[in-house]
Amino acid sequence: MLPTLLLRLRRAAHACAALRRGCPPRPALHTCPWPSPRLPAWEPLASPARALSGRAGAGGKAPLPLRTRLLVAVLLGAGGLGTWLYLRREKELQQLEQRVEQLRHVAVGQGDFQLVDHTGQPRRKADFAGQWVLLYFGFTHCPDICPEELEKLVEVVHLLENDSHLPPVQPIFVTVDPERDDVAAMARYVRDFHPRLLGLTGSPENVREVAKAYRVYASAGDPDVDGDYIVDHTVLIYLLAPDGLFLDYYTRGKSEAQIAQSVRQHMVTYRPFNQ
Amino acid sequence: MSAPSMEERRACWGARDQYWKCLDEQAEDAAECRRIRLDFEARCPLQWVKHFDKRRDFLKYKEQLQAGQYLPPKTTEKT
Repeated sequence: MLPTLLLRLRRAAHACAALRRGCPPRPALHTCPWPSPRLPAWEPLASPARALSGRAGAGGKAPLPLRTRLLVAVLLGAGGLGTWLYLRREKELQQLEQRVEQLRHVAVGQGDFQLVDHTGQPRRKADFAGQWVLLYFGFTHCPDICPEELEKLVEVVHLLENDSHLPPVQPIFVTVDPERDDVAAMARYVRDFHPRLLGLTGSPENVREVAKAYRVYASAGDPDVDGDYIVDHTVLIYLLAPDGLFLDYYTRGKSEAQIAQSVRQHMVTYRPFNQ
Repeated sequence: MSAPSMEERRACWGARDQYWKCLDEQAEDAAECRRIRLDFEARCPLQWVKHFDKRRDFLKYKEQLQAGQYLPPKTTEKT
């Protein structure tokens, strides 16, 4: 569009100059300022603008049909937009890769764990190899945060289940209150959320080790008159890759849609460590 | 003492929401909302009642902070 505009401006300038120099009626010979009456009036036929126009005497009319100009403009615009979108996607992927590298470096959740699930079966970290895992640490006596976060986690699993191209995600709930949350308590708790939600508990030492490995802060408050207490703890949902390594985490501020989108992106770009 | 089930949790949250609505309507005058408060205390474990009271205080404080009602006291300027 811009070259066409410039072209038109130049042509207008030329037309004005031609008007100034040639078109008005010549004054009488004795007052003629022009060098010689025999010379033809100056016609800017040789100007490049007129040559390009393809029509003599053009002064204000379009050189190319409107359709062609529109087509060219649309193609250029589409090309620009396409390039911009592609570059943006490339940048997003690059940022994701950098983040994953950083998180691998931090290496949260290394080492094995030995816990018991809500059916009483012993579970080690290796049992989850090959599965994508969304992990949440909490406790069953939690007033509001844990149920809300677990509802969110389960909703994320639902959203991902709707997409049949994606591998299934294993939701896991680990207690930070093993003294009260035994196998029966965990079973009662997890069945309210999702049939596949796995509750993990164990001895206080083993649970403390897992919490430490995942850098989860947990501190039981003072017990009440009835022995009840609230455990203050880190509120995060962890995403683990099939190789068991920690890939990402989601805070309370992230919505289900945002988490699901992030998990999807990780699944698509995932490369196992040994490849 | 086992943890509240999902129904019990929802009943507790409902009672809490009613109590907070009453407080909003009565401009934090707890005397008017005593009956609702008793219902709230009956449905929720004591620790949860305390937790929600603290949460309410925090939410009110946050509102006031955001409305700019707290200014640093003059005396701290000298410390």
